Amino acid sequence: MNDLWTTFSTATAHLLSGDPELWGIVGVSFSVSASALLIALLPALSAGFMLAYFRFPGRWIAISVLNSLLAVPTVVVGLVLYMLLSRAGPLGDLNLLFTRPAMIIGQILLCFPLLVAMSLSAFQAADHRVLETAKTLGANPWQAFITLLFEVRFALLAAVVTAFGRIIAEVGSAMMVGGNILHHTRNITTAIALETGKGEFVQGVALGIVLLVMALILNVSLGWMQSHSRVLRHGT
Amino acid sequence: MRLELNHICQRYGEEDLFAIDKLQLISTDAVHLHGPNGVGKSTLMKIMAGLQKPTSGQVRHIPMAGENVLQQAVIYLHQNTYLFDMDVRSNVEYGLRIRREKNSKKVDQALVWAGLDHLQYRKAHLLSGGERQRLALARALVLDPALILLDEPTSNLDAGSVVRIEEMLQDLHRRGTGFLLSCHQDNALTKLCNQNWLLASGKLTVEF
Repeated sequence: MNDLWTTFSTATAHLLSGDPELWGIVGVSFSVSASALLIALLPALSAGFMLAYFRFPGRWIAISVLNSLLAVPTVVVGLVLYMLLSRAGPLGDLNLLFTRPAMIIGQILLCFPLLVAMSLSAFQAADHRVLETAKTLGANPWQAFITLLFEVRFALLAAVVTAFGRIIAEVGSAMMVGGNILHHTRNITTAIALETGKGEFVQGVALGIVLLVMALILNVSLGWMQSHSRVLRHGT
Repeated sequence: MRLELNHICQRYGEEDLFAIDKLQLISTDAVHLHGPNGVGKSTLMKIMAGLQKPTSGQVRHIPMAGENVLQQAVIYLHQNTYLFDMDVRSNVEYGLRIRREKNSKKVDQALVWAGLDHLQYRKAHLLSGGERQRLALARALVLDPALILLDEPTSNLDAGSVVRIEEMLQDLHRRGTGFLLSCHQDNALTKLCNQNWLLASGKLTVEF
């Protein structure tokens, strides 16, 4: 018990000391996950909107595939991407393996299905009168789409928060295609795995605290957004 | 503005909902559209407003002499008005923002006209049924529409609110906006109308 407490307090002190290596690792995590999310966001929202509002052949297959992709383990995504990006793979010439762009691609593949599925359900739950009201007041299709995004913003923000939570905490893909190279591709989760393997718990616990605090902030925001979204739905 | 419908047919699956050979509505008209449930009154109104495409046929907006494009708006108001998740004032401003037109005086006047100026910064979803309907009319008024199509505007409204809506509609008509309203029962609003349209058994009959 004493050991645990000592490790925890040393880890907290380590965090507060502003250790550049430790915060560099945090920086890699946030920049990779934020980039992946930003790149995936607009295509995913557009795909969610199309699946919600347009009927086309293969729509149900697309939705089923999407839902199946939600359950794919991160390590499988990492494995597939590794095979594609390795020197012998079809994308080997791009020399992306063990780089941040490779980690970003992996995280895009992980968050895209989640963003599409959650935005699809947000758009399906949206009142059908939103688009009609916008159009009758003169909005063109793009302006009507922006209005719809505004009306379901809390549900979409919840999708973004959930997707960010999923990719920043994943270890499988980041480890396999990032390679865990210090100052380059070592992020919070791969660093925790490495430090724990070496029996060095302090840095692992410090990084774990960062993840836990972030998870707490994300979940509080998510709870607030969901309750706000419910209030609005019942109010209108 | 003259709204013209030519050879309109609306079909659901194999069944014809209605077929209308020729129909027109102009800004001086005040029409009461009635008919049994499920005959397609709302669908017809949405087709007229350009919100829905008919299975076949053509809807044309023909401008009168001296009218500009903005004066050709045909606005459809739902049975249960949808208000955006904004305050009352922002809802009124919505259409003007879409047109990139800044006219706060016009918005102020519309809010006073609808008796909502004291509620302008309240969240729209907190309004009562009558206030919601008045806000929908104010939101339309700022756009100077040629025609307003009201789908069951008096459902769920108390007598006082109906009188208020009647006054507003009368005023809109005086300002040059034609209207068509669908109502099951005759009431103060239907008395303002100078035409009766009956939609039944897939056919539209115009009665003067």
